[in-house]
Amino acid sequence: MEKISFYDQIAKNKRNSILLAAFVFFILSLLIYVIGEILAPEFSLIFLIFAIFFVLLYTYGTYMYGDKVVLAATNAKPIKEDDKNYLHLINTVEGLSIAAGIPKPKIYVIESDEINAFATGRNPENASIAVTTGLLKNLKRDEIEGVIGHEISHIKNYDIRFMTLVAVMVGLVAILSHLLLRSMRYGSRREERKGGSLLIIIGLILALISPIIVRLVQFAVSRRREFLADASSVELTRYPEGLASALEKIMKINQGKMNVSEAVSHLFFTDPNRSPLDKLYATHPPIEERIKILRSM
Amino acid sequence: MIWLILAIVLIVLIVAGICVYYINKIIVLSNRIDNAWSQIDVQLKKRADLVPNLVETVKGYMKHEKDAIKMVTEARERMLGATSMKERVKAEGELTKALKTIFAIAENYPKLRASENFRLLQEQLEGIENKVAYARQFYNDSVLRFNNTISTIPGVWFAKIIGKDKQREYFEIAEEERKPVKVEF
Repeated sequence: MEKISFYDQIAKNKRNSILLAAFVFFILSLLIYVIGEILAPEFSLIFLIFAIFFVLLYTYGTYMYGDKVVLAATNAKPIKEDDKNYLHLINTVEGLSIAAGIPKPKIYVIESDEINAFATGRNPENASIAVTTGLLKNLKRDEIEGVIGHEISHIKNYDIRFMTLVAVMVGLVAILSHLLLRSMRYGSRREERKGGSLLIIIGLILALISPIIVRLVQFAVSRRREFLADASSVELTRYPEGLASALEKIMKINQGKMNVSEAVSHLFFTDPNRSPLDKLYATHPPIEERIKILRSM
Repeated sequence: MIWLILAIVLIVLIVAGICVYYINKIIVLSNRIDNAWSQIDVQLKKRADLVPNLVETVKGYMKHEKDAIKMVTEARERMLGATSMKERVKAEGELTKALKTIFAIAENYPKLRASENFRLLQEQLEGIENKVAYARQFYNDSVLRFNNTISTIPGVWFAKIIGKDKQREYFEIAEEERKPVKVEF
């Protein structure tokens, strides 16, 4: 039973990744086209061709190098294969990837007092795990194991592919919508527009809703994914208490002041930008609920 | 007429597809078990390589614990000399236990515990111990999936065809818990 849902999840993530890429491809192409239509209607065809070419390249680049972008954006530093200071972390990651039957991911460390971690990449063969120095300092071994197990599960489930795509693509959609709104103000001041007013309206609507849509995607994916990764982590470590007490420590210690880009926050183990007690804008499932589920296992 | 032919072709294609799917699945699962076993093997070898190092380090400090040290050395030799899986598993369990004893005794030797070399060895051995346990877990999961597939319909038919209908053995160690060598500093 357990296994079936696992493989369903992988298929679903692969499908969602393609859907997302197609969706973003369409929206971005349209956005660029509309911007062109407003700024220089004479060249709208050239703009359209440029848009499609650019967005294709962008989509491919996101797929191949999205993880690098995320790692750079979070200021994660790679550690050496045999760094003596991180021996235990390296052993834990290696052990749990053996248990999950995936290749050992690359390991990164983020300088921060908060307890947090994330995984990124496009598939288990090209995956990375990053943990904060605060996590290494504050958590005991069983607890670290639980958190790493959670991240390894994200890798195995191909959650990382979809989440990394969301993270990197959100960034550009947000920037482009912003640009469109600005250019629109500029364009309407320059001259009265005759044709293309319909396009402008569509563009305006798109510009307004696309960030919202992407935000919603971010919302929708996080919660179920986190619960599933918690469960899979326990399947690997066979010790729910480790993860539960890690979450408890996070409630006590984390302030939500990691200050990373909002576009990558859903990748993290717990929300890096908000205190665990702040429930109003939560992109992550409430920690108490996660603990409760773990304790009932 | 043409419909009949089309229907027959379709059925043949579907049946062929199912055959390919199941035969491939059985082979993949069987290969996964072999791969999982070699993962265990790699870790056991790594551990066997570290043991002489540990013995060297410990010897200088633990002058009165010859028995414990001897137990470790002997268990290691038995493990390396094992020919069957059963023997191997048994020797592995003994080595685990012997190492556990050594680390427990080491608690009484503050100088030893303070030595950088010992600390690294202990960390490495403990890491390997965990990896062996994890590899065993993955191995047993793989065996379970394989055995389920070849003992349920329709896998059971295809397993017979390609001669992979023998149930695989689990890697079981009675009472051997996941974190055997556990020493907190």
